[in-house]
Amino acid sequence: MSEIMKFKNLKKIYQMGEVKVEALRGVTMDIQEGEFVVILGPSGSGKSTLLNILGGMDLPTEGEVSFRSQMISNYNDRKLTEYRRSQVGFVFQFYNLMANLTAKENVELATEISVEPLDIDQVLIDVGLGERSDHFPAQMSGGEQQRVAIARAIAKNPDILLCDEPTGALDFKTGIGILKLLNKVNRLYKKTIVVITHNASIGEMADRVIKMRSGEIVDIVKNETPVSPEGIEW
Amino acid sequence: MRVLNIRLMRMIWKHKGQFVAATAVVIIGLMVFTATGMAVKNLDTTLEKYYEITEFADMFVEVVKIPESAVHKIENLDFVERAEGRIVFDVPLRTEGDDEKVNVRIISYNTEEHHINKHYLLDGSLSLRNEREVHVIKMFADARNIQVGDTLRTQIQGDSYKLEVKGIVANPEYTYLMENEQSLLPDPGRFGVLFVGHEFAQNSYGMRNSYNEVVLKLKEGTNTQYAQKELEKMLDKYGVKRVYKRKDQLSNRMVHEEIESGKKTSQTVPIIFLSVAAAIISVMVQRLVRNDRVTIGVFKALGYTNTQITVHYTMLSLGIGLVGSVFGILFGTLLSGAMAQMYVDMIFNIPILYGKIYWEYYIGTVGLASVFCILAGLWGAQPVMKIMPADSMRPEAPKMGKRIWIERITWFWKRFTFSWKMVIRNILRSKKRFLFITLGISLTFSVTVIPLYQALAFKDIFVSHYSEFQTMDYTVKFTRPQNENMVLKVDELVESERIEPLCEYPFEVTNGWKEKVVNVVGIRQNSQLYHFKSLGNDPIQLPRRGIFISKGVADLLNVQKGDFVTLKSYIPDRDDQEVQIVEVIKQKLGMNIYMELETMQSLLADEELITGLAIESKANIKPELENVKGILSVQSVEDMQNVFMEFLDLTKVTIVFLVIFSGVLGFAVVYNSTVMSINERQLEFSSLRVMGFTKVDIFKLILKENAIMTVLGLLMGLPVGRWMISSVAQAFSTELYTLEAIASPVTYMQAIVMTIIFVSLAQVATYGKIHRLHFIDALKNRTA
Repeated sequence: MSEIMKFKNLKKIYQMGEVKVEALRGVTMDIQEGEFVVILGPSGSGKSTLLNILGGMDLPTEGEVSFRSQMISNYNDRKLTEYRRSQVGFVFQFYNLMANLTAKENVELATEISVEPLDIDQVLIDVGLGERSDHFPAQMSGGEQQRVAIARAIAKNPDILLCDEPTGALDFKTGIGILKLLNKVNRLYKKTIVVITHNASIGEMADRVIKMRSGEIVDIVKNETPVSPEGIEW
Repeated sequence: MRVLNIRLMRMIWKHKGQFVAATAVVIIGLMVFTATGMAVKNLDTTLEKYYEITEFADMFVEVVKIPESAVHKIENLDFVERAEGRIVFDVPLRTEGDDEKVNVRIISYNTEEHHINKHYLLDGSLSLRNEREVHVIKMFADARNIQVGDTLRTQIQGDSYKLEVKGIVANPEYTYLMENEQSLLPDPGRFGVLFVGHEFAQNSYGMRNSYNEVVLKLKEGTNTQYAQKELEKMLDKYGVKRVYKRKDQLSNRMVHEEIESGKKTSQTVPIIFLSVAAAIISVMVQRLVRNDRVTIGVFKALGYTNTQITVHYTMLSLGIGLVGSVFGILFGTLLSGAMAQMYVDMIFNIPILYGKIYWEYYIGTVGLASVFCILAGLWGAQPVMKIMPADSMRPEAPKMGKRIWIERITWFWKRFTFSWKMVIRNILRSKKRFLFITLGISLTFSVTVIPLYQALAFKDIFVSHYSEFQTMDYTVKFTRPQNENMVLKVDELVESERIEPLCEYPFEVTNGWKEKVVNVVGIRQNSQLYHFKSLGNDPIQLPRRGIFISKGVADLLNVQKGDFVTLKSYIPDRDDQEVQIVEVIKQKLGMNIYMELETMQSLLADEELITGLAIESKANIKPELENVKGILSVQSVEDMQNVFMEFLDLTKVTIVFLVIFSGVLGFAVVYNSTVMSINERQLEFSSLRVMGFTKVDIFKLILKENAIMTVLGLLMGLPVGRWMISSVAQAFSTELYTLEAIASPVTYMQAIVMTIIFVSLAQVATYGKIHRLHFIDALKNRTA
């Protein structure tokens, strides 16, 4: 496996009024091509900040981030947009679907600006929503909405999928379904997947688990025998 | 960007109420632009075509008497294309059964060869075969129900004549049927024009082979100023009274004043409405962007650029502009047709209408709408740039909650109930919304007060002129100057409280290169029927020497108290007189110069000669004066009042339209901002509902907020309205009348009541939003 992303001594400081908050305090790590990585940590550990920087949604205060040897930490706004457009797919905890667009249109929203998008109908079938593509978010369950969000993320054919607490708003059974889907995407579409969560159990299905606390990586665990999502419990 | 466009359409549908309200304001602005602009342009084009067809004169000459041979000489001047002599005189028309005095102007023409100011035949025949046959001007014929074949009885030089109507015609010289500069409005029932052959006029009026007026067509490229001077010099020996250009001709001037006023309306009203629409749209888009913060973050996360997102939101405002343009053009075109028709049929008397669609107005409409709406959209969508995708995913930090300044006045603050405290805090914490609504309400008030003021101002002109400045009940005009003994003669005939002689002649008043033809009125120094007031509103008495000059003339000639002006008489063999301005006076109707009667007679006219009378009498004196030789007309203030009421009926339609327009404006501002406020405060209202507030309680909260802002908006509107009134007064004052920039408290009260009605309607329309608020959904909703 080759290296898809690398970050070195990443720091992020937020100015909150007169107080400086250090969200990341010198994080260094890499992510391999096709890897399923889980970043574990409690609230305030800096995992969301790290994910945002990985996805080009935010810039570090200090340090370097590279994507396939391209130094994205030096990118300007236009180049970052281009990066998000072609290389990254996001899945959010609360789905963040457009309420006034159908499932299919929500996916189309992403493919319209992609260079090499996947077939929308096929992607929707793959996520198990072939029959529900004309429904609006309000007509769907939370699990279905998250499936739409995943379809939207993968349909534009990105190299890396970044998922921010994808099961955080779902019940156990639906959450497992989503994890199965992410596992399938990782295998079927050969996408690198980074999931951030505070749910330690999810780490069991990852190739690697990165543990964070107070803006630092406290441990990196390589999982030699990842279990299938069905075997996870919380 | 198909999906974004779908989202846009659904977004518009979701906010349809706001969209329609903002679009309505755009439509009004564009409709006024298209309708007034095209109607006025069509009127202008029609007028020019009409003048071309009828060969409307370029120059008019009034003389005491000019022989036919001299008219031929004029025709030989190198700048004259054609000249025609004519006899013009005003005589009474005998009417049956009533005591009203109707005057007709007899205008003669060559029935064989008529080339200038030709008639436009509307009914009957154009040729006059018999000396006693006449053509009647249409407006007069309509007002008095005169038909072809009817017989009219006139009194000329003491003799009675029966004239047969051969045709009903229109004439370019009387597109606006006014007797003279002093008439405020046309009164087609009491003043008309009859066209007769030269032979009849010469025989009846005693002017064999002579005329008292000449009309001219000038060669192309002639300097009219030069032509005017040359003619004045040449015709001096024929007793030249007045030489004036087409642009100074009364009817032509009135049409052009209307055209200019229409142009002003088509330029100012749309700007006001489009500016308000732009403000509404801008705030609307801004609020939408703020509410769509997470959505915009998702867009950015997906790889949409700032430009693409900004364009997406600006498309909403462009949509408003384009829908507004379509309806603005549609309604504007329909209205322009109706307006043009009203101009040529009802206000003026122009028998043709060249109605044309002017594409430039359509392009202008779309251009104006696009510019205003795109700029508003871009301005509103600006915050898109500032939204960072990572930040947008995090819930927005709550606004800093701190005490408002009013809370520091503890004894005052303690007096408010809890809900009033909430209301006041909400108002003072959303300063932009507060400013937007109060400004909107103040503008609604100002726009409402304008038409109400206009109606009142016209009434005020009449009341002030005929009951404060002049207090006579009747004005009598003589057919030709009479001896002052006429005062005694009339005094014996009628029951009156007072009779005063008047001497009124037109003079050319000059100050350097500035000149103006003005009627100089000679009255007795101790006149009880004229009440002069200085510009400072102080009562003043006419001086023995020197003149009083009305403010309108003073402004035109750029003179002030103490300056000297030259009065050039049109009475033959009279020297020019230098006179000093003793005072510049207030005069709302017409423009005049006033002199002491005897001074005027000795300097400018003839000893003891007068041209009319002013009579104070509560009795009906018309029947007694009807057959008095030498009296041309007897006009009562009541007659004028009736004419004025008819005119007010016409303006009522415009006033109603303008009030509706301002209503839409106020409704749009309040409705949109209230709906936006409700959408933004769903969480707050839902929390209140959970705490036990009813929907009505929440509605009352908003009602109280808007009530406070309405009161403040109205207070702000008072000076704005006052300023707009003074601008309108300045812009719409003409040479015929001066609008005074003072509105009565009643007008302000009416505008306040109307504004409150518009605001209340908007408020009621938003109740549905509160009623449909699902507080549980609002509390847990996380969909972008």
